[in-house]
Amino acid sequence: MGSYIVKRLLLSVPILLIISFLTFLLINLSPMDPAEVVLRAQEVPEITEELIAQTREELGLNQPFLKQYADWVMACLRLDFGESYVTGQTVWSLISPAFLNTLKLTMVSSTIIIIMSVILGVACALNEGRIWDRSVRGVSFFLTAMPSYWLASILIWYFSVRLDLLPTSGMDSYQSYILPVTVISVSYVGIYFRNVRSSMLNHLHEEYVVYGRACGLPEKKITMRILRNSLQVAVSIFCMAIPIILGSTVVIENVFAWPGLGRLSVKSILSRDFPVIQAYVLILAVAFVLFNTLSDMINAALNPKLRKEI
Amino acid sequence: MNRKSVKIWMLMISIALLAGCGETTQGSKAESAIRDEIIYATAKDIHDMNPHLYTGSMPAQGMVYESLVENTKEGIKPLLAESWDISEDGTTYTFHLRKDVKFHDGEPFNAEAVKLNIDAVQHNAEKHAWIKLSTKIKNVKVVDAYTVQLVLSEAYYPALVELSMTRPYVFLSPKDFIQGETKDGVNGHHGTGPYQFTEHKIDEYATFTANEEYWGGPPKIKKITAKVLPAGETTFLAMQKGEVNFVFTDDRGADSIDVQAMNQLVDAGTYQLVRSEAMNTKMMVANSSKSESPVSETAVREAIWHTIDRETISKDIFEGTETEANTLFSSNVNYADVELKERGYDPGRAEQMLEEAGWKKESDGKARFKAGKELAMKLYYDSNSSSQKTQAEFIQNAVKGIGIKLDIIGEESSSIANRRSTGDYELLFNQTWGLAYDPQSTISAFTSEASYLHTTKGIAQADHLYEHIQEVMVSKDEETRKSLYAEIMRTVHDEAVFIPISSGSVTVLAPKDLKGITFKQTQFELPFEQMYFE
Repeated sequence: MGSYIVKRLLLSVPILLIISFLTFLLINLSPMDPAEVVLRAQEVPEITEELIAQTREELGLNQPFLKQYADWVMACLRLDFGESYVTGQTVWSLISPAFLNTLKLTMVSSTIIIIMSVILGVACALNEGRIWDRSVRGVSFFLTAMPSYWLASILIWYFSVRLDLLPTSGMDSYQSYILPVTVISVSYVGIYFRNVRSSMLNHLHEEYVVYGRACGLPEKKITMRILRNSLQVAVSIFCMAIPIILGSTVVIENVFAWPGLGRLSVKSILSRDFPVIQAYVLILAVAFVLFNTLSDMINAALNPKLRKEI
Repeated sequence: MNRKSVKIWMLMISIALLAGCGETTQGSKAESAIRDEIIYATAKDIHDMNPHLYTGSMPAQGMVYESLVENTKEGIKPLLAESWDISEDGTTYTFHLRKDVKFHDGEPFNAEAVKLNIDAVQHNAEKHAWIKLSTKIKNVKVVDAYTVQLVLSEAYYPALVELSMTRPYVFLSPKDFIQGETKDGVNGHHGTGPYQFTEHKIDEYATFTANEEYWGGPPKIKKITAKVLPAGETTFLAMQKGEVNFVFTDDRGADSIDVQAMNQLVDAGTYQLVRSEAMNTKMMVANSSKSESPVSETAVREAIWHTIDRETISKDIFEGTETEANTLFSSNVNYADVELKERGYDPGRAEQMLEEAGWKKESDGKARFKAGKELAMKLYYDSNSSSQKTQAEFIQNAVKGIGIKLDIIGEESSSIANRRSTGDYELLFNQTWGLAYDPQSTISAFTSEASYLHTTKGIAQADHLYEHIQEVMVSKDEETRKSLYAEIMRTVHDEAVFIPISSGSVTVLAPKDLKGITFKQTQFELPFEQMYFE
């Protein structure tokens, strides 16, 4: 298992390098001169040729491309992502609190999503075709199809304005978590519980279950065995759910005025604040690669056959 | 109906479905929530409050920092300078400062502080090239503790107006400077204004508290909070609940909540809607120098002008919140009370003009052609502005009726600004700088590559126009100035390079019992210090 982990980690290095190169290329793909982008981002009312030349010099944009890339990668390894074009603050000082805020939201939501998905998935599988199974699937279909900004607005109106129980937005107290976490969870539970359910159903008809029943094993014990086997499939899905939620909170953060990564990224994209965009893309890419590696490792630990595949 | 209003309406319908039972009194909740404090919603963070740079929120900077003089309806009035003298040749301005002013950190405001601030601005001259005064200041002399002299390289009549602007000629405590400079950041944000900047949580909120030592007397509203709410729908709900109680038009002239939503809040009885007089003109800018495009022809530009039904735009798209504009500057702008050729909504006249200019309809009777070339153009709009998109669609449909094919393309604002400065456009939406800045700032932008050079340089009298602009800025005689401005305005009007659409104003949605809501001579600030609850 040890050598598997080392091999799997080493495999992530070239992927991360390719991602970092593509991320850095972003700035050069823009049709606008990055120096001009900086000046526009700083809302300088009139941009002159001299000012552009001066800014290019200051940003080191006159250096050869590969040197710029190498310098940037080395700096990123020290968590130095440069300075924001717009505010002049370090990207780290902007992105780290935003990342933490989104992470808090993601972790609370993921926990609820996993618990709810397992409970609903198991309950539906055990009641396959019955009214409970059909109504849960029906309601979840309706809720996942609902645009999240829409659901969010309705919940804010009902629970914050009408019932006056919760704040409409912001992240001042634990109460601020309730509505955004509910909206995120509703969208994902509807997807993930189906995976648990279908995985359970596949196992329900396997020979070991029939054999277990024939041997007179208690039903509870059989269900637990099925659940354990089914969850192996769900592990990788749940692992990937975390970076997926991390990268898809834009709408929720906007509606709930949550000062997180999603909002920061949209703001940076609109003002072409490239250093922040680069750091955002890089952080998300690293999160995807890490969680993907983690899910492979867990699966390999559960199923030794997988370890030979590398 | 624009996209935002559709969303609000859809929200209302769902709410009606959800709220089957129970009584609701939204109004009273908002009423009881906040007293003696203004919490305003802002779509963006206030950013860097350094007053000598351009990223900070102007309404926020306006509360904290002050200038030497103030621009009012009645003209330039004293602010931090009690009085001033201008030398006969118009190159030396001597300011006599108020003696009872202190910065928020207790430092005295005096001639030294003025010199230090103006010098710091001048040391970053490249960034301030847009404000012509920055290119004319030769030096700043401290005459005595409370007298300071500004020496210019040549007479420049808008000097006082430019000194009255929200930035960059405003004053920061010398203690906040880093090695005598402000261009690479500052240590703190202490101005002399009615409010002190007390707390800032990036992307969450910023608070400003009343300056009890303010030389003009302490403001009655003791605390102002700028709360970041990026979504208009949330702002609407937060206002209903009373978590925020104030919204106003942002720096770019966009309202953070929809017209219907504003009306609904007013109808509920808790809020009032106050609008300023016209502050700017929203328009379409035509690139006269794009010789390969039909837009370079005056007749085509005039035809488009005649085809726009401004009354419908004002009534249906802006719901009466913006009025029709028929000239580049409304008549309340200095020097803009000029008689100009009337050019109203008249599609018949537009068709006739196109015929005369040789743009004939083909057999299908729809498209127009001249020498085998179709009469087709592109119009760029800001993809983040719902009203611009609706207007673009409306205009596209209108000009189609007279045989002009108009492609409309939504892009983000920086890309549109880039098109304007490189000349890569035929038509795009823009707006004038607004009161206080106009007409001088918009007009000097006619000659600037970054602004309207491509718009103006294709017209027949371009050289004359530029000479007049050069002259008017240094002219010392009021009558000459009037006639030069009239000449400039007539030229661009006759050439129809700026096609006016509507006059925009500043909108404030505030609690009903908030009094003293007035406006400044600029669309970028509000005098919060004059407001009070009854």
